[in-house]
Amino acid sequence: MRNKIDEGRFRELLEESDDLHSDALRSARAGLDDYVEAAREARLAARRETSRWGPVAAAAGVTGAATLLASGTAWAAGDDIAALQTAAGIENLAVQTYKTALTLPFIGGSSANPVVKAFAEKTMGQHNEHATAFNAAAQRLGGKPQTAPDPKYAEVVKQTVPKIKGAADVVGLAITLEDVAAQTYVKNVGLVSTAELRQLFASVAGVESQHKAILLAVQALVKGGTPELIALPPDLTKLPAEAGSVGFPDTFYPTAMAAPVEEGAVK
Amino acid sequence: MSVFPRRGKRAEMAISERELSQMTRELDQLHESTFSQVRTTLDELTANLGQVVRHSSTRRSFFLGAAGAVALGTVAACSSGSTPPAGQSSPAAPPQPPKETYTGDLKVVALATALENLAVTAYGGALKKAGAGELGTVPPAVATFVQTAMKQHADHAQAWNAVLAKAGKPTVTDAPLSITQDQVAMLTAAKSVPDVAKLALNLENIAAQTYTFATANVTDPGGIITAATIQPVETMHAAILNFVLGQYPIPDTFIGVSNALKPDALTVK
Repeated sequence: MRNKIDEGRFRELLEESDDLHSDALRSARAGLDDYVEAAREARLAARRETSRWGPVAAAAGVTGAATLLASGTAWAAGDDIAALQTAAGIENLAVQTYKTALTLPFIGGSSANPVVKAFAEKTMGQHNEHATAFNAAAQRLGGKPQTAPDPKYAEVVKQTVPKIKGAADVVGLAITLEDVAAQTYVKNVGLVSTAELRQLFASVAGVESQHKAILLAVQALVKGGTPELIALPPDLTKLPAEAGSVGFPDTFYPTAMAAPVEEGAVK
Repeated sequence: MSVFPRRGKRAEMAISERELSQMTRELDQLHESTFSQVRTTLDELTANLGQVVRHSSTRRSFFLGAAGAVALGTVAACSSGSTPPAGQSSPAAPPQPPKETYTGDLKVVALATALENLAVTAYGGALKKAGAGELGTVPPAVATFVQTAMKQHADHAQAWNAVLAKAGKPTVTDAPLSITQDQVAMLTAAKSVPDVAKLALNLENIAAQTYTFATANVTDPGGIITAATIQPVETMHAAILNFVLGQYPIPDTFIGVSNALKPDALTVK
């Protein structure tokens, strides 16, 4: 790849981005405590409801209802933890995959486009932060941290890596992982039990979809035989028209590929 | 006065009508594949909100959090005023505030519609200025971006308006927001592609944060998931705009809510 970039300027941009990121992260960490506290309260409230209504239902002979109520409550609490653990597993896999990709000469080596390399490094760091946040929330709710990668997509990565021949293959794999992550978190917004956890999943979904948007644009340029146009700032006059829309193909973000809540739960 | 610009010629845009038509067709096909699912969700949302409108006593549970408390206060102010008993007129009683058209989740729906309309206005205005040659030569990729993003925002607005219409509320066809005047002024002052890109980036970030806020502050499951499916689309627009401006495209590790529009930003009652 021919590299067209002002590396000094790019480094400045990354530093500016890191400053912004640090601010956002501080805010997110503060918010994380709120997320967890609210989820805890929801669990305690649910337990109180169970203890209040379970015996009443049982005394009335509605044992089925009492059991259902109890198991439903247990499921709801476990559901949040499982969702967080599954999310952490997806993030762990993303970190591992970007780490592996950065060992390849055309992503992290001498023939790499500096923008793509820097993107991979920065994105890996962001996924690491997401994993930390999801695991912290899972632990605060009484669950175990998920330190392993998502089992289903780890297999996909395992099968794909030996077949990688160039940057386009890596980008394609990364798009799949980012898309699964975003779809999973969008769906989880509708599943988790508290407003705070909904916001946590939404706040990360928006970032994964941004990774996907940039990767789709990069993929189009690589496949189009113009990788030199992957530059920051870009030469807008040379970018093909499709580059302006290829990054956001859906009007409403889909969820069909979302990982099931239990997929990455710690057994 | 409508903030919507009239369609203008695109003399300065470096993209042909044929290319644009082809692109729009492809986009429509993609759009239709995901939209049917969303339509079902929106129908459910409408049905739920219809019930809520009929049972207004449940309004108090609509909003959570600090901003929700503000919204609640407004709703409470409107709904808790009691009529004095006959013969006990109160000369000092303040006049009743106008009854709110949009309350609870429907206020967030109206807010989202107005915000989408504002984005359509901004992109439409950019196209008009481009057509008039006021932004210099517009690169093809930028033209495509503007057309595509504008269409997606129009679709979002249409989806939200369908909810309002089915709930028996007036649709929002303009941008009655506290930020509209400033945004339109910025658009009027824009003289280049970067000027427009900065304006659009700001709006996309506001939209993304507003939807993030909405996921935590709307109570209807259909409303929550609809906000969740739109939010990533706005963040993707923002990423591409950052790239266009030569900025790092994904500056934040978590999408915040500090710049989200809250329900009180809706200026229509």
